[in-house]
Amino acid sequence: MNNEELKAYIESHYGSQLTYNEAGKYDLLFEVDASNLVTVCEKLKNDSELLFDYFCNLSGADTTERFEAIYNLASTKKKIRLDIKVILPHENPVVNSVQTIWPAANWYEREMWELYGIHINNHDNLTRFLLHDEWDEGFPMRKDWDAPDFIRFPDL
Amino acid sequence: MSNLRTEEFDINMGPHHPSTHGVCRLLLTMDGEKVVKVVPYIGYLHRAIEKICENRTYAMCIPILDRFEYVTAMSCNYVFSLAAERLSGIEVPERAEYLRVIMLELNRIASHLIFFGTTAMDIGALTPFLYALREREYIMDLFEMTCGQRLTYNYIRVGGVSKDIPNEFTPKCRETVATISDKVEEYKRLLNGNPIWKMRTIGVGKLDADLALAYGVSGPILRASGVDYDLRRDDPYSIYDRFDYNIPIYQNGDVYDRYMIRLDEIQESCKIVAQALDQIEDGPIRAKVSPNFKPAAGETYTRIENSRGEMGVYLVSDGTKKPFRVKARGGSYPHLQLLPEIATNCMIADLVAIFASFDVILPEVDR
Amino acid sequence: MGIIKKLPVYSEKIPGGGIVTTSVEQVLNFAQAKSLWYLLFGTACCAIELMCTGASRYDFDRLGMIFRASPRQADLIIAAGTITKKMAPRLRTLYDQMAEPRYVIAMGGCTIKGGPFYYDSYSVEKGIEHIIPVDVFIPGCPPRPESLLEGCITLQKQIQQRKLGDWQEK
Ligand code: SF4
Repeated sequence: MNNEELKAYIESHYGSQLTYNEAGKYDLLFEVDASNLVTVCEKLKNDSELLFDYFCNLSGADTTERFEAIYNLASTKKKIRLDIKVILPHENPVVNSVQTIWPAANWYEREMWELYGIHINNHDNLTRFLLHDEWDEGFPMRKDWDAPDFIRFPDL
Repeated sequence: MSNLRTEEFDINMGPHHPSTHGVCRLLLTMDGEKVVKVVPYIGYLHRAIEKICENRTYAMCIPILDRFEYVTAMSCNYVFSLAAERLSGIEVPERAEYLRVIMLELNRIASHLIFFGTTAMDIGALTPFLYALREREYIMDLFEMTCGQRLTYNYIRVGGVSKDIPNEFTPKCRETVATISDKVEEYKRLLNGNPIWKMRTIGVGKLDADLALAYGVSGPILRASGVDYDLRRDDPYSIYDRFDYNIPIYQNGDVYDRYMIRLDEIQESCKIVAQALDQIEDGPIRAKVSPNFKPAAGETYTRIENSRGEMGVYLVSDGTKKPFRVKARGGSYPHLQLLPEIATNCMIADLVAIFASFDVILPEVDR
Repeated sequence: MGIIKKLPVYSEKIPGGGIVTTSVEQVLNFAQAKSLWYLLFGTACCAIELMCTGASRYDFDRLGMIFRASPRQADLIIAAGTITKKMAPRLRTLYDQMAEPRYVIAMGGCTIKGGPFYYDSYSVEKGIEHIIPVDVFIPGCPPRPESLLEGCITLQKQIQQRKLGDWQEK
């Protein structure tokens, strides 16, 4: 299945939940509503045409107006790739955990919570692990984050 | 007798422990010599590479990302350049593609040699370490000849490579890959028949394919469990389709298979390098890219096959000269996450063998 | 013979054998300088170069340097790699566990002043000098094995010039 066919397939079968986003270069990018995330992911994994059995990566992003969580999925059997983006509000971002579908997501979600402050619902172990234990300076990957001993690179 | 039990106790392995390959802390709950529970703690090498990259130009990100996975720094250079090229649609000249493949594969060999040496050392054999690092130095010589660095190369740039190879590179490289290919046979003779080595590795740390896939395991570890998935072939990038090579697959998923698959991969990589040296032709080595170049706004997740599995970069550009978001994904991250699943209820000595066979390096996990 | 030349050695031919006279200080310094056992403390990229230096081609052993896994047996920490804020207390603990006299070599830009992670990093310790006292700094990112050897020889020279009792103050 190439990208065109995949896009057509997803739009016909998942059109109500996934909306195409043309920001994605090279691979397909779809947006999904935070409330639908888990059900859609479950379907994507079990759909016999897609079989997204492989969880590549999860990254958070902060655009200062909103947060984004981007799930990169792949299928080892069908050799296809797909990105899914969830858009979250800047106040109280919350997203549901997908670790029941892909156990691999566990640490990625934990990391996203730690560095971006995006809360994960139904996560079994939401504890600090990258920053040191006494860390109390907030969420360092946010764009507006600052601290007294944080030295910025001189402007280019 | 069978209902006699010893008291459980906790033991800290790391953060500074010779066999954790860097700084990883494993909190072990032990029952005698048996591991009851493993909890990995990471972050002792969290260097904020992603934050740093957000405040640098694209050209300046490459040396920072070198430090993200220093054992195969060429891959880090490559995956970032590839992502930036995909965003901006830059065409890379033919010769540069060949040079990239040669360097990537040489780096894969170097990394697998380190794996071979350190794994054997962790399990208790010091000689393979000295053998493997001896051969690795020849590859370091080749890199030094080309880009002047031994470890953090900054060689593959957006649009091509930074320098052309010198004249003496080609004969030396041919000689090196031929030697290493032979030496691998010697390594196999050195260890494979050794009864202690076999007892320590065969059947230890079995990982089945379903569990591996569920945890996002990739690279040699996944292929040692019988899943035929190699990004060089299945998510094609660069010019790997022009070479004739095999992708070794093993079925048992134990420490022994994970070790054998890497030795086989060294030989396959040697084949690729030799073919690339035959096919390479003269030409430009770099497309015209301004140092402050600005890719079009957009985002991509780019992944390549690294010696430790899938290495990916999620790159978002907002059309300015600095990337908006760089997320680096290393192969070791899911592997370390998987460790508790397969190391529970094994002996502590086997835990060391399993950990070594995963070839985890910590900067890739912590970033 | 090269070793003997460096010591102030007076030997006389007397019936029955030779007598070597020297001072306690020199013997002690000589012994310490030529058997610097180092702690395997590698955190990041520089650790790979440290490994290479210990292996076949560069061969640390010829300086009398053998790696030890336990700080209690080591005389020297080669701090190879980035020290983060999370790792810093552990480095201090390891240093405190070593027996006197103890030495520290800071290898690479990261241990000197944060290296490439000086700017924009929220988690990297900017140099290790305020955690533990450093004897020799080796710049580079990573330093070549040759520079590491040079650094170790410099440390050996420093040790040989030491007066008895110097190390007790440290
Ligand atoms: S000085 Fe450079 S090579 Fe050494 S640990 Fe720091 S970043 Fe890595």
